[in-house]
Amino acid sequence: MPPKFARQVAIAGIGATEFSKDSRRTPMQLAVECCSLACEDAGLDPKEVDGMVVFSAENNPEIEVARNLGISELTHFSMVHHGGGAACGVIALAAQAIFSGAAKNVLCYRAFNERSWHRFGSGVQDRPTSAEAEVVSFSWSSPFGLVSPASWVAMFATRYMHEYGATSEDFGRVSVIDRAHAANNPAAYFYERPITLEDHQQSRMIVDPLRLLDCCQETDGGQALLVTSAEHARDLAQKPAVLSGAAQGASEDQHMMRSYYRDTISGIPEMGLCARQLWEMSGLNPDDIDVGIIYDHFTPLVLPQLEEFGFCERGEAKDFIADGNIALGGKLPINTHGGQLGEAYLHGMNGIAEGVRQIRGTSVNQVSGAENVLVTAGTAVPTSALMLSQDG
Amino acid sequence: MTDFLEQLRAGIGVEGSAQVAPDLVNIPMIRHWCEAMDEANPNFLDEEFAAAGPHGGIVSPPAMLNAWGMPGVRIKREEMGHPPPPPIESETERETYGSVLGLLDNAGYLGVVATNSEHIYHRYIRLGERVKGTQKLVDVSEEKQTALGIGHFVTTETEYQTTDGDPVGSMFFRILKFKPHTGRDASKEGAENAADSPAAPPAMRPKPSMNQDSQFFWQGAAAKELRIQKCNSCGRLQHPPGARCPACGSMDLGWKVATGRGTLYSHCQVHYPPLPAFGKPPIVGLVELEEGVRVLTNITDCAYSQISIGMDMQAWFYNDPQGFSLPLFRPARQPRRTETLLAGDISEGDPMPICPIPLTVTGIVATAIATRDYQDVHHDRDLAHQKGSKDIFMNILSSSGLASRYVSDWAGPDAIFKNLKIRLGAPNHPYDCMTMSGKVTEVKSSAASGADSGADSGGGQADGADVTVEFAGINSLGPHITGSATLYFPANPSR
Repeated sequence: MPPKFARQVAIAGIGATEFSKDSRRTPMQLAVECCSLACEDAGLDPKEVDGMVVFSAENNPEIEVARNLGISELTHFSMVHHGGGAACGVIALAAQAIFSGAAKNVLCYRAFNERSWHRFGSGVQDRPTSAEAEVVSFSWSSPFGLVSPASWVAMFATRYMHEYGATSEDFGRVSVIDRAHAANNPAAYFYERPITLEDHQQSRMIVDPLRLLDCCQETDGGQALLVTSAEHARDLAQKPAVLSGAAQGASEDQHMMRSYYRDTISGIPEMGLCARQLWEMSGLNPDDIDVGIIYDHFTPLVLPQLEEFGFCERGEAKDFIADGNIALGGKLPINTHGGQLGEAYLHGMNGIAEGVRQIRGTSVNQVSGAENVLVTAGTAVPTSALMLSQDG
Repeated sequence: MTDFLEQLRAGIGVEGSAQVAPDLVNIPMIRHWCEAMDEANPNFLDEEFAAAGPHGGIVSPPAMLNAWGMPGVRIKREEMGHPPPPPIESETERETYGSVLGLLDNAGYLGVVATNSEHIYHRYIRLGERVKGTQKLVDVSEEKQTALGIGHFVTTETEYQTTDGDPVGSMFFRILKFKPHTGRDASKEGAENAADSPAAPPAMRPKPSMNQDSQFFWQGAAAKELRIQKCNSCGRLQHPPGARCPACGSMDLGWKVATGRGTLYSHCQVHYPPLPAFGKPPIVGLVELEEGVRVLTNITDCAYSQISIGMDMQAWFYNDPQGFSLPLFRPARQPRRTETLLAGDISEGDPMPICPIPLTVTGIVATAIATRDYQDVHHDRDLAHQKGSKDIFMNILSSSGLASRYVSDWAGPDAIFKNLKIRLGAPNHPYDCMTMSGKVTEVKSSAASGADSGADSGGGQADGADVTVEFAGINSLGPHITGSATLYFPANPSR
């Protein structure tokens, strides 16, 4: 039974700070700024916000942001765990809150100084020990030097390459396309700085087989999204980006980025679970999708996402990509903002904003007549995905 | 050319008189050599097996070619009040090669390492034969700055015959004579010591967190057991451990001790972030145990370039100074092939199995002595230090012997070596591991080998193949040995 909120909820406002390597201000300032901008974009007074859904990884507490925004009452506030896997999840939860009547206008945001303060890529090797289950779970990897997101993904990448004959160049093509799209985007950190496959192949190893240019940026910045009912959205300032689907997924023998113990590790079953729900909820199929915002913290996991959603057969993403399908003008242009390799790494929230722009027709790399945009969240973690569609 | 170099080069091209091996090819010395090299080819020690093989009887391991004539131990007996040993070197030898070494010693080039050895085998040498070698100085290089120090390369060629005059092989050999403590890295020695000073806290591995659900695993590792959680109700294994059996729902969980054997399922190598505790970028592996579950671990004792998915792995246990133990894995040594490969089984590009060779003081000393090489740097740590080395190191005859064993273990007992060419790089010091890997680079059809193809190698035999393999042995400092060997493989089983 598909959840009834399909097409009943919309994203009505988007707001972001600049994306930099040193914001020179606190993450709280970034959070408040991007939330204000999202409300302003929607034409909604922040005082009308009555719900907030954030990542459990978010270090700017929602009540603090609410206090700064002058929000007097919150009737729904909740969190989604598992890092970047939460990106579409916060929107899904907001949609459920709105559909159930728990809140009317819900802000979702992610803001951090992930470059100038704590660098995400530096790893978890310094974390104190503890007997708590989540800390204990790192004991099966950290003592062996597998301490960073890149290293956790590399283990999947090597196996995927072995099973399907994919190469470093196949991963590199994703990076080249992201950077080509970012080159057109003034908001992107890598605006006007495209790369070649040769650049990718020459970039240094981070965790073999992942090179520097397979890895997303570390960014300072904030991105907020305002979610409300489709009905309310129609009365606000912007063309609504309607949620024709929103889903979360965690699958059998799920671990946080280290689900190495399943029968096979060359697919992403939790993303497959999101895909099944989205197709069912939206009534759409892969041929209906005009743009894909495919989570790209690390290029290797872009490939199995395309397979899990059925854009190509298992193991054939490398050919799908090499044939030009994911570039502008291809069958499924992806990451038209430049992705997290090219624009900014905001744990996927900036990708959702790009999905909204494609529906509004305001992307710097606009796909003409885009009706439906697929947005995915962090991979290898318990994850989530959205389908954004034109209203009506 | 300097006068000194001219002096060094005076003897080039002069052939020395024949050096006759003090002993006939004999079982005790072969046995000693085979034990030290862990060589188990029965053609070298098993009379019955050897009689039925391509040589028609026991033969010397081919890599022993130059061991038979080595001068042996030269204890300075005069220092202990005994008369000096009788000289065994000929006058000519002293005039050429020997005198070059003496000149270099006197000029301060006290350090010595062998860098190249190329054996060519005309045939294997039989039990009871005696070998003689005729050496010729081929070249003395100009003075060169090397990683070890400033020095000269000295190259010789030796022809080997039996004392009956039957040619059995030849050797091209090169050593470096260098001035200790003048190496390219000498300036860094001080800096390294500074890094070891007690002021800098040593980098440590991330410590594991434990609780009641997982402590059996860590207690097991400390007891050198790889324990995998097992449901006491339904017997299902799971890793990482949990609090309940997801299959049958039982909370009654115990463990099973795994054999530690498995295969590599996936891998990566962490270059960033820097992890100083590991020294070098760690290789992380996902190993599928033969019990069916996977464990994450470090792959040790090999280079990243040597590993591949599917290779056999064996657990060992690492004790961390912080007080915990970890099960780590190294490539498993493949068993020696007892049925010799046939020419038709071999193709260019075929990989040879990876083989770790642990390096110990005993191993380095035992192989040096088994090859009759009593150069002090191979057994005397004090003198090795004095000569600019951080520890004793393996001699080239042993590297050659271990390489031949590695190739022979893959080829099978009746493949016949035609040559064995090696070049040395980073030294093999104790407390390290040299891991061999290699592949077939050429397969050429070849008439049944002339090399002692048994008593009746009469007509009608199908062609075999001359197969060239390239191999490398890598230790923690880098490649110790790189080289190649060509072997003859028969078309049909030879026994």
